[in-house]
Amino acid sequence: MIRLEGLGKTFGAYTAVSDLSLEVRPGEIFGFLGPNGAGKTTTVKMMTGLLKPTSGRVLVGGRDMALDPLAAKRAMGLVPDEPFVYPKLTGAEYLRFVGELYGVALPDMKKRVPELLEMFELTPWGGELLESYSHGMRQKLVLAGILLHEPKILVLDEPMVGLDPKSGRLVKDIFLKLAERGTAIFMCTHVLEIAEKLCHRIGIMIGGKMIACGTLDELHAQSKKDGRDLESIFLSLTGGAEYSTLLRYL
Amino acid sequence: MLGALLRRRARTFANTIGHWTAYEWVRNAAFGSAGFGLLFGLHYGFYRLLKYLATVELIGLLLTWKLTAMLLLMTLSMVVVSSLLTALTTLFYSYDLKFLMKAPVSLRAVFLDKSLESAFFASWMIGLILVPYVAAIMRVQHLGLEFFASFLFAMPPFLLLAASFGIGFTLLLLYFFPSSRTRDVVWVFSSLSLTVTYGLVRFAQPEKLIRPDALKVVAEYLNFLQAPTAPYLPSWWLAEALRMAAEGNRQGYALRAMALWACAFLVYGLLVALAGKVYFIGYSGAQEGALRRRVHSFLLLPEQRLLGIRTAAVLLWKERTTFFRDVKHWSQILLILGLVFVYLFSIQRLPLDSAELKSLVSFLNVGTAGFVLAALGLRFTFPAISLEGRSWWVLKSAPLDVGQIMRQKLFFSAVPLLGIAATLALMTNWILEADRFTSWLSLGALLTVGFAICMMGVGFGALFPNFTVENIHQIESSVGGFVYMAACLFYVGLTIAVLAGPMQMHFAERFGTGVWNSRLALFSGAGWLALNAVAMIVPWTLGRRALEAHE
Repeated sequence: MIRLEGLGKTFGAYTAVSDLSLEVRPGEIFGFLGPNGAGKTTTVKMMTGLLKPTSGRVLVGGRDMALDPLAAKRAMGLVPDEPFVYPKLTGAEYLRFVGELYGVALPDMKKRVPELLEMFELTPWGGELLESYSHGMRQKLVLAGILLHEPKILVLDEPMVGLDPKSGRLVKDIFLKLAERGTAIFMCTHVLEIAEKLCHRIGIMIGGKMIACGTLDELHAQSKKDGRDLESIFLSLTGGAEYSTLLRYL
Repeated sequence: MLGALLRRRARTFANTIGHWTAYEWVRNAAFGSAGFGLLFGLHYGFYRLLKYLATVELIGLLLTWKLTAMLLLMTLSMVVVSSLLTALTTLFYSYDLKFLMKAPVSLRAVFLDKSLESAFFASWMIGLILVPYVAAIMRVQHLGLEFFASFLFAMPPFLLLAASFGIGFTLLLLYFFPSSRTRDVVWVFSSLSLTVTYGLVRFAQPEKLIRPDALKVVAEYLNFLQAPTAPYLPSWWLAEALRMAAEGNRQGYALRAMALWACAFLVYGLLVALAGKVYFIGYSGAQEGALRRRVHSFLLLPEQRLLGIRTAAVLLWKERTTFFRDVKHWSQILLILGLVFVYLFSIQRLPLDSAELKSLVSFLNVGTAGFVLAALGLRFTFPAISLEGRSWWVLKSAPLDVGQIMRQKLFFSAVPLLGIAATLALMTNWILEADRFTSWLSLGALLTVGFAICMMGVGFGALFPNFTVENIHQIESSVGGFVYMAACLFYVGLTIAVLAGPMQMHFAERFGTGVWNSRLALFSGAGWLALNAVAMIVPWTLGRRALEAHE
């Protein structure tokens, strides 16, 4: 469904992402982990056409993002790390705008927009300008926006940030349901518990390179540590176990 | 604490320059050179004018200082209007305010930091224009560098005083009307009053005073030249300080320069003291979004009914909706309407006696109206791409071509700008009773100039996008804004030069002193087409490529 082939990005002398290859299949939730500055957001931006790769290519449903960006983007939905939206549109208007951009039929929008607002408990706010929304409300609205056009591929950069526990649970259930229906989901997250519970496969990135990729069992085998939880595996693979030495600065 | 805040600005500036790539050094050096070229051109124009004034017997010097006082008064009013527009966003909506307000920094220090930023953005470009003028006085009157140093010393308090008006007004507005709805209404009424005041001042026909024939006796005219121009305003104090510096009256200069500094300290000090009491209330009110429920009916959008093309229509609808809901734009629209009326009124008051002179002015109107359109382009068209701001990801990640986005920005901007261009051309031709040839030529030329200015605006806007600015003035006064304005002025100047040939032949035919030279007409026509092709296509293509590659 989505394939990265030898993807790389450099900014001057700095290499943000190097020779990254992976594939997310239909119905799969792929978790993308790594410490801050590992290159996760750069990867997301390249996957969604916001950044031009220095090397390699992104294939979305078989279409090259560089050669046929419109078709590739039409099949994809993005939740960025910071949900900036037009402050002078209302929630319902933002959804209408997104629906029009992605070619959703007007009768479908008329039916779906109130449903999505209801689902994310935004109905009382649907007619208010987005400048009055909190971070979490905007995050939910952006999620509603991608659900409106039902993309085959979801790219999510920290989708749980700012959500209240109930909304967080709802969003997790939505992702599982979408995966059951065949949607491919690529998700960057720092919340290891979510990755552990939701993701079928997990990739770990450090310094622009993917150092490990596989199911939880496969990652455990690669880490060669006793702990079977993702936190132990992650810390072992990223060298984070030495963090205790850092506490001396406290 | 203020020292720490100012040091972070210095550090940010140094880091920005320190991280320029070789390409950025070359690019900025090229634009810097273009800027110097423009300032030098202005200097040359001022020099010619002042040189001419100096040749007028007896009153040459009086005329120079009268002109200086009027120029400074104009500068003062421009900085005041500019600061009104800048202060609101800088003082109350800057991105870093959340960080600063929750840090253990005194409110007055934050206010000082933000108000100085506001004063800088409102005044630096207007202040820079004074430099070639003062240099021209220096050359014409053979004054030394001491005169220039005197100007540099006295200018900062003058600009700060002018900017203080907008800052103080905004501070009080947000204090007394923290509710967003009331604030919006008051903001629009303030802009309306400003427009009406501007109109009233103009309709009082001050030009009567500078035309000797409008006054009864020569003595009256001389009295006018010697009389202070708005003596209670800092522009007059600066004008007087400069005159005294030029005359070598150091004591007189020092007195006025110190008065400017003292007044700036006093007014600014009062503002800072006031800010300690009122700034937070205004800031707190500004955080509250405007709660006014709107029901969206999922009907066909008006743009969809009109255009049918789905993506273009929805982009236009988004542009229209977000533009008109921002109350800051209303005040600018009111000011533009005032500007158009005053422009036409000024045309009507021009002392033109012969039909030929009226037709000539009608043709030259392409140049002056072109400058007005360029100023509007800088305000509305050039920032259009950058004003997508941090929501740019919505469009960039959507199945949209960058060209579609640019075309929609062009359309949204071109319709009103062409309307203004047509109004200025048709009304001017009607007022001046221009002949048919001149009327058609100036109308066609001005509509083309309007369209080219829009295409250049979107093109340069795409070539220099900045999605992280918080203030429209930062976009306008950026390197890109400067390049756009310089390109527009150059283009308008060339348009006049290219069309001067046919106009000259037309007059020669009217006076019976010559006939049409078809080769020259063809040459002018081809030159005009080539000029417009370059003006429209080059920035657009470069901008499109730059925006596609923007990271």
